[in-house]
Amino acid sequence: MTSPLEARSLSLNREGNAVLNGVSFAVAEGEVFALLGGNGAGKSSTLLAFLGFLEPSGGEILVNGKSVADDIAAARSAIAYLPEAAALYGHMTAYENLNYFLDLAGKSVKKADYDDALNRVALPIEARSRRLQSYSKGMRQKTAIALALLRETPILLLDEPTSGLDPVAIDEFHDLVKDLAGAGQTILMVTHDVYGACQVADRVGLLRRGQLVGSFAAENGERIDTETVHAAFAERETA
Amino acid sequence: MVRDMVRESRFLAKDRGALFWLLLAFILSIISVAFGVAEVRDQKRTIAELVEEDRADRANALEGQEDWGGAAYYAFHLTYAPPSEFAFAALGQRDSSPWKHRIRMLALEGQIHEADTKNADFGLVGRFDFAFLAASVAPLLLILLLYDLRAAERTARRHDLLLATAGSSKRLWLPRALIRVMALFFLLLIPLWAASVMEGASLNVMIQASVVLLGALLIWWLIIELISRIDASSSVLLTALVGLWLALAIVIPALSKAAVETRQPLPNGGKILLLQRETVNDAWDMPKEATMTAFLEDHPEWHGHATIEQPFEWKWYYAFQQLGDMKAAPLVDQYRSARLARDHEAGVFAFLSPTSFVERSFEKLAGTDAASMIAYEESVRHFHAQLRAFHYPKLFKDEPFDRDLLGGLPAYDPS
Repeated sequence: MTSPLEARSLSLNREGNAVLNGVSFAVAEGEVFALLGGNGAGKSSTLLAFLGFLEPSGGEILVNGKSVADDIAAARSAIAYLPEAAALYGHMTAYENLNYFLDLAGKSVKKADYDDALNRVALPIEARSRRLQSYSKGMRQKTAIALALLRETPILLLDEPTSGLDPVAIDEFHDLVKDLAGAGQTILMVTHDVYGACQVADRVGLLRRGQLVGSFAAENGERIDTETVHAAFAERETA
Repeated sequence: MVRDMVRESRFLAKDRGALFWLLLAFILSIISVAFGVAEVRDQKRTIAELVEEDRADRANALEGQEDWGGAAYYAFHLTYAPPSEFAFAALGQRDSSPWKHRIRMLALEGQIHEADTKNADFGLVGRFDFAFLAASVAPLLLILLLYDLRAAERTARRHDLLLATAGSSKRLWLPRALIRVMALFFLLLIPLWAASVMEGASLNVMIQASVVLLGALLIWWLIIELISRIDASSSVLLTALVGLWLALAIVIPALSKAAVETRQPLPNGGKILLLQRETVNDAWDMPKEATMTAFLEDHPEWHGHATIEQPFEWKWYYAFQQLGDMKAAPLVDQYRSARLARDHEAGVFAFLSPTSFVERSFEKLAGTDAASMIAYEESVRHFHAQLRAFHYPKLFKDEPFDRDLLGGLPAYDPS
């Protein structure tokens, strides 16, 4: 069966520096795969490669079984992308931002659906008609998450998605991710939050200096053991 | 594409920075057009007043005359190049070349070249007319509207999200830039069209002017697009684009002008005036026979009517006036040829500068280019020749003065 997301011996260079070196993984439908790594490990670059922003210097990157290089537009239309600290337009309200970005994606959504999505991310009702420049970082992130939900794409790419969220919102977000995966959405998230990754992911991959150096999977319906991953993560980072 | 344009027009409606520049463009367009219309109406009013005064002055001057020579000497005739219906958009050479003269049947070239422009000082800096706005200011406004479309999104860390959402850059940057270009185009154009209708410009000229403006904006858009693809900060892009604007709008036209002037030296108009006047003044001291012999070489038709017996005769007086023009003729030819050659070369150099090209195109449409002003001077010479053709038979054949025949005096026709 074709994996929605697959990296085959993926190597990436950015400005002459090797960012990824022969990384391979696949994310199955309905699976949450978390790439865990420190700063400069190549996590965000991996996401950008799936979106066609970075061309592989080696290997191949596939979305729904098709090489991204062959049809970037098709890859992007299948993916909702939540960048780290997504900066939506500060001079527009949450509704206007959603309207703009969904229109940009070629998607028509009813206003009631906007509210459903904003309810799911717990953005206060009174804030929705305010300009985003008055929002906290967490509220802006919630709006961006709502946008990703409304895209209703089969694949979600999340770059440090809980950045800026308070602990309660983080827990709510984790529940949301599990719900989405349960509904069949394929999710690749990159993070340096070991706890969060273990809470939400079916599998965790450890990325270090451009190489996948470890992998942990949830078994028997239990979550991945945070202590184990943390120990491996700390060991790898200090190695 | 329509959906993308609608989306980006709604987006533009919320972009206060862009709206400010567009509003400024609209205001500047109104100002430039209003200024041009006021100036052209002032010129038309001046012409209308002068036409009336000219008629009255001439009637007054002719009233007391008792011979043909005096009638020719004291009667002044107004010549003028009326502004076209589209001249308000590009005052062009009307600032630096005289568009009205008051001539009489004396040596002509001095009368042409002693004429002053109405506002010669404006000729130094140029007028704020629509041509200047379209050629020089509009590109700057376009730069301000477009230079950081991408860079600002990169700075805000929104670039990748936008592109990932849009799927392809064509669905994002093209409509976003196009809606700004079109908004600028129409906001500049609306006052121009309104004034064109008010002033009675032809639809053909209005369409051609619109095409010139659109072409200029598209060329600048292409330039901005190429530069703004560079992965640099907004300030670097702005500096690069303003530098390019300076090169294309100021430096290249200035260098082109210097090159044209070096390649096509222009005789000083004052020299023509001096040469013609010296010839005329010298004639007073020369033997009359010498003057008439020289005159007859060019006008053999008056052979047999050119004997001067009195100390002063009008035909001798007008003959040496014409000799003054004949003496200055080579310099006048050189002057005219050099101006035409300069104009031609300036047209070639204009292909290096969109600014020069647009200004010249507007001047051509408005009939305020160098060729139009040279054509006006030629019409003055033609009219002066008609005056001589009217008076010479009467002077050389010593016809008795008949006031009634003055009704047949040539009238200047500016068309």
